[in-house]
Amino acid sequence: MNALAIIGEILVLIGTFFYFLSALGLIRMPDVYNRMQTSTKSATLGSLGVMIGVGLWALGSSFGSVAWLTKTIVIAVFLLLTNPISAHALIRAAYKSGIPLWHGSVVDKYHEYIASKTGAENAEETAEEVSE
Amino acid sequence: MIKRALAIITLLIIGYWLAQGLAGVPFGQDKMLVGRYYLEHVKEQTGAVNAVTAVVVNYRGFDTLGEVTVLFIASTGVGALLWRKKKKRTARTEGSVVLTTGTSLLFPFVVLFGAYIFIHGHLTPGGGFPGGATIATAFLLLYMAFVTYEIPHKVFEKTEGLAGMGYVAVGLIGLAIGGYFLFDWIWQTWGWGQSNIGRLFSGGFIPIIYTLIGIKVGTELSGIIDNMLKEGVSE
Repeated sequence: MNALAIIGEILVLIGTFFYFLSALGLIRMPDVYNRMQTSTKSATLGSLGVMIGVGLWALGSSFGSVAWLTKTIVIAVFLLLTNPISAHALIRAAYKSGIPLWHGSVVDKYHEYIASKTGAENAEETAEEVSE
Repeated sequence: MIKRALAIITLLIIGYWLAQGLAGVPFGQDKMLVGRYYLEHVKEQTGAVNAVTAVVVNYRGFDTLGEVTVLFIASTGVGALLWRKKKKRTARTEGSVVLTTGTSLLFPFVVLFGAYIFIHGHLTPGGGFPGGATIATAFLLLYMAFVTYEIPHKVFEKTEGLAGMGYVAVGLIGLAIGGYFLFDWIWQTWGWGQSNIGRLFSGGFIPIIYTLIGIKVGTELSGIIDNMLKEGVSE
């Protein structure tokens, strides 16, 4: 047990806490967009904490080698880059398929943008073309 | 309602019957018969550290050849079922900029990782089939993000056939040298790589066969994706 292992354990603890927050957000939030917001952000951060923490923890343990840390860093970078893209694609698909915002929402600039491009009537149908 | 109740009762009876059958099997006890032989001899007989791939490719290579054939038949069957003279992608919406950029950046890394999986089949978990599936995933990503993307058909279909033939050819060379089909000639006859078990250049013909299988599975699944994402155009 040395400093690296302790730092790793703390990181894993922080990561699991953020995992818990992400699951809590899934239950607590009112609509799809808010749920995606909470769950993807905190799940990404939680995964980063857990993975880097495991790498450091293994480095500090008696069996430790740098291979663990290298692998966890590779996985963490991959997750860090892909998770926001998948969240973006999911949310965009949700908006395109007409899932309504929470009733307490105030602004919907994207809808206004689509409407300004095409005219307010057929905003839903032509939403796909303008969005590039 | 009565249908559903009957189905649930039948499933419960079947489940109880299976549980009764399995109840006699002791859990967590050593009951290896052939498995012990594999574990004890896998290193000097095949040169592979990964016992699973050694069993799949070396000891029971015939099954793997059968699996590859099954995949090939599946791909051919999908192609035959969905055959049209003129086919086009039916996708209408281009992915967003984030998606297309992300995909084009990720694609080489996914292919690289797939190649890593099937090249290191004798050392790490995985092998030809997961590696090939990963490569096909990369092409699925391209198909999902871009409206007009198509795999290069001429190259892909030829590569698929050549990889399959390569597998059989490796087996036939074994037949010529060692006397039976899929005989590991690189390990048994040449003794190539016997001094560095556990490193990349060892494992007899496992890496070679897995590279061929990985290429074959990757191109095959990409072909299935391509077939399924297209629709016939009537003109």
